[in-house]
Amino acid sequence: MARRALVVGSGPGGSVAAMVLARASWDVTIFEKGANYFTDLSSDRPGTVFSNDELKKSRAFSQPDPSAEPRVFRASPQAQPFTGAVQSLPQTVGGGTVHWDAKTPRLWDIDFKKLSLLGPVPGADIADWPFDYGEISPYYEQIEELIGVAGDVHLFPKKPTLTHAPRTRPLPMAAGPPEYSSLLVSEGCSRVGLHPFLAPMAINSRPYQGRPRCDNCGFCSGYGCPILARVGALAPLREALRSGAELRAGAMVVKIETNGRKATAVDWLDNENERHTESGDLVVLAANAIETARLALLSGLPDPYDLTGRRVMFHWFSEGSGIFLSERLHNYRGRDHTHDIDDFADPDFPGARKAAKVAGLPYFRAGKVELGGTQLPLDEASSYQEILRLLAPQKPFGADFKRLMRSSLLRDRLCGIELIGEDLPYATNRVDLDPTVRDWRGIPVARVTYGPGPSEIAAQAFYMPWLVKLLKAAGADVAISIPELPSSRFPIAQDQVPATEHVMGGMPMGENPRTSVTDPHGRHHHLDNVFVADGAAFPTSGGHNPTLTIMATALRQATTWAASI
Amino acid sequence: MAVFHRRQVLQAAGFAGLAVLFPPELLAACSTASSPTADGAKGQSFLVLDAHEARVVEEATSRLIPGPDDDPSEAGHPGAREANVTRYIDTMLGALELSPPRIFAGGPFSNRSGWPVDDMAKFLALTPAQVSGWTLRLAGFRARYRAGIKTLDRMAGGDFIAASREKMDEILAQDPGGFMTLLFTHAIEGMYSAPEYGGNAGLAGWHEISWPGDRQPRGYSEDAVSLSDGPDAYVPKGIGAQLLQLLRTSP
Repeated sequence: MARRALVVGSGPGGSVAAMVLARASWDVTIFEKGANYFTDLSSDRPGTVFSNDELKKSRAFSQPDPSAEPRVFRASPQAQPFTGAVQSLPQTVGGGTVHWDAKTPRLWDIDFKKLSLLGPVPGADIADWPFDYGEISPYYEQIEELIGVAGDVHLFPKKPTLTHAPRTRPLPMAAGPPEYSSLLVSEGCSRVGLHPFLAPMAINSRPYQGRPRCDNCGFCSGYGCPILARVGALAPLREALRSGAELRAGAMVVKIETNGRKATAVDWLDNENERHTESGDLVVLAANAIETARLALLSGLPDPYDLTGRRVMFHWFSEGSGIFLSERLHNYRGRDHTHDIDDFADPDFPGARKAAKVAGLPYFRAGKVELGGTQLPLDEASSYQEILRLLAPQKPFGADFKRLMRSSLLRDRLCGIELIGEDLPYATNRVDLDPTVRDWRGIPVARVTYGPGPSEIAAQAFYMPWLVKLLKAAGADVAISIPELPSSRFPIAQDQVPATEHVMGGMPMGENPRTSVTDPHGRHHHLDNVFVADGAAFPTSGGHNPTLTIMATALRQATTWAASI
Repeated sequence: MAVFHRRQVLQAAGFAGLAVLFPPELLAACSTASSPTADGAKGQSFLVLDAHEARVVEEATSRLIPGPDDDPSEAGHPGAREANVTRYIDTMLGALELSPPRIFAGGPFSNRSGWPVDDMAKFLALTPAQVSGWTLRLAGFRARYRAGIKTLDRMAGGDFIAASREKMDEILAQDPGGFMTLLFTHAIEGMYSAPEYGGNAGLAGWHEISWPGDRQPRGYSEDAVSLSDGPDAYVPKGIGAQLLQLLRTSP
């Protein structure tokens, strides 16, 4: 009889693990707490109800409903808690790869060996990953092939990108069409000595594995792709289903049952809140870093050193906005944005070492910058709604509002850029269970306690002016930067709930059970058949979008699991 | 990327928070005022709102997003009244009384961009979690509409509809109980969301702002993505100039 694997979560990590295990003849069941917005998932081209609908997005169609399934956020243990939407990655079949615009950079060599190559940072728990860039590279290549990454490797800058993330072969598809605004800002970057390039992304530039090429509809980041030119987790999920895996949507796992060093079963609730038990020989946790820690804590998984949920990391997204008065940029067409720069991820970026020293740090980094993007009318209108409270408090509505909407200053004339900042692991940044708030099922929700450290604050302060500088160099008539992190230097970000959807850490990999929750292959240090396959396993966060690395890591790890138990 | 996405997560964030950085005299200098005249309200049947409530919502939202009959400077520019924002709001408040609930329009395509049928007209069944969340949310909204409309009436001396436009503006600007902000948020949704949700009648909201709306399955050509559409200068004046000035003075 086939052995049974129980996979919690159908996002990028869980789907890769399910694919590997199903192909190795395991009897795999995938539990997805959210809805399934697809039909015929094992076919070449599934159907979907995702659409070009901004209101549907703003009503949290693919995300947990913030009233029914809230989280709690505190900036510190003493701070006033906020209850609602906190880092709401989609929770649906496909997980985080439903919301993304599928940017798929690799992490760098210095990310995997950060402690060895860059050294410690006081107050943070910098650690090496259990493998280096060379070892993960073949898994990156397999995932890039599987999900269909488009890009022109020969156009990537040698420094810093290819120096830190070398490539040995081309990507499966050429890059798609560049966006006009991304080109404009890229020119600005070049003028000030930065190194823009067409970013790799898992969006079809030609028909690929039965799915069509992207038609540039523009409803990309935050929207499920209506034509499946961009799939992510659905590619391995399809392979898993074709190899016999079963997918159960609307099934929330609430407890891992254990006996000694073994998990024996999972308890799960169906959509009617009926409790079921499913026994199995192997359990994979891949519900996303926050929900995976929540499940481990709900289950009371062994945690002798109080590590579970600690050292959770959130990329900080500081934003730049450039307004162009001479033309409309039609940023609403295409793949959200098409160009990046990697310069600010380099600890040796000119001036960065010196600024770190002044801040009392051995070094700091930020991360990549996404060049291009805008907001659609509902978000644009909300911006004017707030701005009019400042500009016209005695009548913050009316014809002025409509004139602003027609001017399109914050939509069609706007070019946004986003800096993805590396977040270091701190023991005080953690996920635990809220003592009072429960979800609609009556289950305690995750409570996030998070604040940036000196490294994040200093890096943000150093790179914020660069966002304005490169937008001005691109010809923006007005350019501003908006910080993400709260600090005394940026009081406007006080009380800000972190909104990034890049969530990592909490059950990191490592050799030492006193400093890590899972072993170098993602296996729980104290449970022989429980494995982590999502971003929770990251020991450090890097400064690039995490999904490709989540998938490559899950592929490396899961390949060893079947043989190990 | 939503450039100002954090606002959705915490309403106090983003530009509202920028206020602390601007000198008060600048904010004072930024302020404007205006005043119009006209009248409106029609007899329709609604799911949740009674006839009077519907008229108050219509008149109030027409102050927030005025059309040609509400503000002479908006000649040729439809507003909340023309886009049927009141119908949108009533449909939202009563969304769970319809089957399937009018919360999430279907997909993948409408019939506006080269597809023969309107998939978005078929609304989607909700998950129990969504039913739970929206039951709470809509109960809260209904209570706030009932109370908010009463407050507007009271502040107008008994009947908001009978008040002058200047008086209506003055009352709304006080944002009693946050009701103007809530109404404005919903009026924006009704004005600029897909017409399947009940507003944006005749695509008035989208045409008004040169917004092409949903674009599948036609999409855009590669040239439309990569090339400039050509010069289209915006000459800063009025409120737009004030907005740019505000941003220029941000740190």
